[in-house]
Amino acid sequence: MPKLTIDGKEVEFQPGQTIIQAAATVGIDIPHFCWHPKLSVSGNCRVCLVEIEKMPKLAISCATQAAEGMVVHTNSEKTLAARKAVMEFILINHPLDCPVCDEAGECKLQEYTYKHSIGESRFTEEKQHKEKRVPLGPHVMFDGERCISCSRCIRFCTEVAGDTQLTFVQRGDRVTINTFPGKELDNPYSMNVTDICPVGALTSRDFRFNSRVWDLSATNSICQGCSKGCNIQLWVKANKVLRLTPRHNQEVNSFWMCDEGRLNTFKNINAENRINGPHLKRNGGFTRVSWDEAFSAAISELKGFSREEIAYIGSGFATVEDNYMLAKLAKTVSGTKYIDAVPHLVPGSGDAILRTEDKTPNMLGATLTGMQGGKSIEQILQLVSEHKIRALYVIDEDLVSNYPQFAEAIKKLDLLIVHAVNENATTQIAHIVLPSASYAEKHGTMVNIDGRIQRIRPAVTTIDADRTLDGLSLSRLDKFGTEYDRWGRSDKIDARPTWKIILGILSAFGQRSKITMADELFHEIAENVPAFRGINYDTIGEQGVVLNINKTTSVYGEKL
Amino acid sequence: MERIVLPEIENLHNIDVYIANNGFAAARKALLMSPDDIIDVVKKSGLRGRGGAAFSTGLKWSFMPKSTDKPKYLCINGDESEPGSFKDRQIFEFNPHQLIEGIIITCYAIQAKSAYLYIRGEYHKWVNLMETALETAYARGFVGEEMKKTFNTDFSCNIYIHKGAGAYICGEESSLMNSIEGKRGYPRVKPPFPAQNGLWGNPTTINNVETITNIPPIINKGWEWFSAIGEPKHPGTILFGVSGHVNKPGVYELPSGTLLTDVIYNYAGGVPGNKKIKCVIPGGSSMPPLRGDQLEGIKMDAESLRAAGSAIGTGGIMVMDEDTDLVKVLARIAKFYYHESCGQCTPCREGTGWMLKLLNRIVNGEGSQRDIDLLLSVANNIEGNTVCALGEAAAWPVKFMLMRFRDEFEARVSPHINLEPKNKVHSMRHTVNPIDKVEI
Repeated sequence: MPKLTIDGKEVEFQPGQTIIQAAATVGIDIPHFCWHPKLSVSGNCRVCLVEIEKMPKLAISCATQAAEGMVVHTNSEKTLAARKAVMEFILINHPLDCPVCDEAGECKLQEYTYKHSIGESRFTEEKQHKEKRVPLGPHVMFDGERCISCSRCIRFCTEVAGDTQLTFVQRGDRVTINTFPGKELDNPYSMNVTDICPVGALTSRDFRFNSRVWDLSATNSICQGCSKGCNIQLWVKANKVLRLTPRHNQEVNSFWMCDEGRLNTFKNINAENRINGPHLKRNGGFTRVSWDEAFSAAISELKGFSREEIAYIGSGFATVEDNYMLAKLAKTVSGTKYIDAVPHLVPGSGDAILRTEDKTPNMLGATLTGMQGGKSIEQILQLVSEHKIRALYVIDEDLVSNYPQFAEAIKKLDLLIVHAVNENATTQIAHIVLPSASYAEKHGTMVNIDGRIQRIRPAVTTIDADRTLDGLSLSRLDKFGTEYDRWGRSDKIDARPTWKIILGILSAFGQRSKITMADELFHEIAENVPAFRGINYDTIGEQGVVLNINKTTSVYGEKL
Repeated sequence: MERIVLPEIENLHNIDVYIANNGFAAARKALLMSPDDIIDVVKKSGLRGRGGAAFSTGLKWSFMPKSTDKPKYLCINGDESEPGSFKDRQIFEFNPHQLIEGIIITCYAIQAKSAYLYIRGEYHKWVNLMETALETAYARGFVGEEMKKTFNTDFSCNIYIHKGAGAYICGEESSLMNSIEGKRGYPRVKPPFPAQNGLWGNPTTINNVETITNIPPIINKGWEWFSAIGEPKHPGTILFGVSGHVNKPGVYELPSGTLLTDVIYNYAGGVPGNKKIKCVIPGGSSMPPLRGDQLEGIKMDAESLRAAGSAIGTGGIMVMDEDTDLVKVLARIAKFYYHESCGQCTPCREGTGWMLKLLNRIVNGEGSQRDIDLLLSVANNIEGNTVCALGEAAAWPVKFMLMRFRDEFEARVSPHINLEPKNKVHSMRHTVNPIDKVEI
């Protein structure tokens, strides 16, 4: 491979790589605002100027291709002088309103100002004023004065979202960003511009002014919006999830996620209608009971139905571990063949970017662990309406809302046991309601549409969660035991992961298990389910692994 | 003295008059030559671009890839947006067919099937004149499919006139291409250069209007004839647009290497009121200004002006007499570049406004010594750090004005020091002390 020298280091590079890319391979981070690894090169911020021997002028490292024998200096006197000059230029018209800016704490401009700027300005003139608080679309707010005109957002819309919705208008230091007349920034991926904006010019209307980012803890997880399984981070303060952001995974979602996933998959975690503690229906009303009481009630009820009279309904919203345990419960206690998960296909809701039509994050995982990919669900419900099946055990699904045509039949069931995160139409008519932990409160794995198994992790504490054993990440507020400390002061929900609840029921059934942690359970799964053989939580890691399965086999028995 | 670009022939804009004066003979001749031979002739003629950079035209053409499946394009830059520059419109008005003929020959030489003539947005009149001329040339079968019959050749090309929307930056070649493509007039990052990646990503050559108008006579009379005119390193005639404090402002076609003082005094009629000259900008507003006492002996060609500490630019000579307020002049120039900075890259976008704000304060008597140093520092921080040459265009006037007329600025920011401005004027009547002998 050809080589160039960067700061005295010999660096091998692929032909076609630019200096900034070649430098990154050996950990030299050349400052940059407008350059983004997944967007075209615009070369406008000029902060990545470097000195190249034998070149008369400094060159921008984002656009200059590496060449054999090239000698680059990223910290020479000339380079530093230019970098400082550019930083000074960028800051002269910037409002420097970090104390009230949402970006503060994760702002590239702020970081570079500390790292690469002289710390004071020679600019004593009136700053250029521009529009502030402009709603560019339903989810994104724009502050023209903070904008440094790097054009990342414009390029993102055109190149990634495939919809040119933003443009520069005006010239010189009057340049600002706008949508086209009568149009909004409303593409399904619009909020990614708030992530890639290197300053606080584009902020999330949903999150802005909710928290300083340094007061949040970040936990790696997987988006629950569809079967793509975009890698995300859950940002938590005071035991509440306040926002989701995409996490880089080149094999899945690159740097992006859709607005739907970002906005609509976490609000139920903090919602008022969370189910808190196990409940039994007595005399027409629900009574909160202890877990042990709930377990014995469940097992004594379950024993009363023959294999033809009971069905178990798993879920693509539940983890591999949860569905595996449900299948185990069905087999052990009832021996029934009636076991399936609820399909959630929304035709036309997918695209060629990230979004898929399957709105569950783990239908493939549920199928691999014993569900039938939705093939028998209608049949089961038909038997329910014929009153041949008289008992249902449902995890993490709102059957009544999903199948309104069977609502009456479900109401007539002799036994309905439901695991649920939030109250819904099905929990209302259930006989036993078991509070299940949301995806933000448990460890587990999910298999995406491409057969990639990935991990979710707890970010929010429940009464059941163990801060140390579960490896929860800490925010600054937690560390110092402030009044926002999520362990000490927060209201915690009494909920447990579905797999753990079923372990409890099986234990009440007399089948004791040594398993206490999700990763131990996964060891058992890996031993019993061929698709997961040889895999454990460590090998899945942060980026997931692709399962060795026949990927052409559709989860739903038909091509997606 | 022979005039090449603007010959002294009445009604030459009329195609019949043009044909009667050997019009389209060069195209006829060129279309029988091989494209490489034409490029060779133009190279040997020594013709250099008249748009500002004075780059060898033949060499530029030879950068066009020979083997490519992509269409090739020619762009003719008639944006003429540099203040002090108003020569191309004379060609549009008085000799449009020679330009058209030059375009045809160039298209053939670089094997382009389409040429875009980009004309400055404010030139409504000249766009109309040029469109009329082009329509006539089409009607008479000199351009388009019909030219195959007219010239009895396999080659044909089309010429499209594209009117700009009034942005200075669109005179920069890559912005010009973006503008033609219907995009925002932002300069492109180079490399890649237009010959590799130009209009719609295809190989493109961009030449100035005056440059291309020189082509037919070179083909007709040969490179030996052309290269013998004026200065050998920058041969031919140059259209000098003389403006400012002269009695007869206008466009003068003179051999390269003509003395600047000759242009001003012999052709442009000298300075009104027979005043002394304080400052001359020799090549359009972005070129370094010369002091009055630097003018003697300066020849008007690229090499001589570079040696004198300036540049030929577009040949727009701006003359300022002894009563000119250069602080105000510089503030006005800075205002232009501030207004015209496209805003794409940081140093120019932010720096032009900063320089203007500083200069406005100095003009208003609110400046300080610190502001002058700061102004110079800002100019230096812009220079060389931008996407396109507008950075230099904005920085150079500031830098060189301060370098060559610093005492005028010093006097403005320190009113308590009553400095008699040093005599830095040139005069035909007497020679003053050169500035380097004057203690500041």
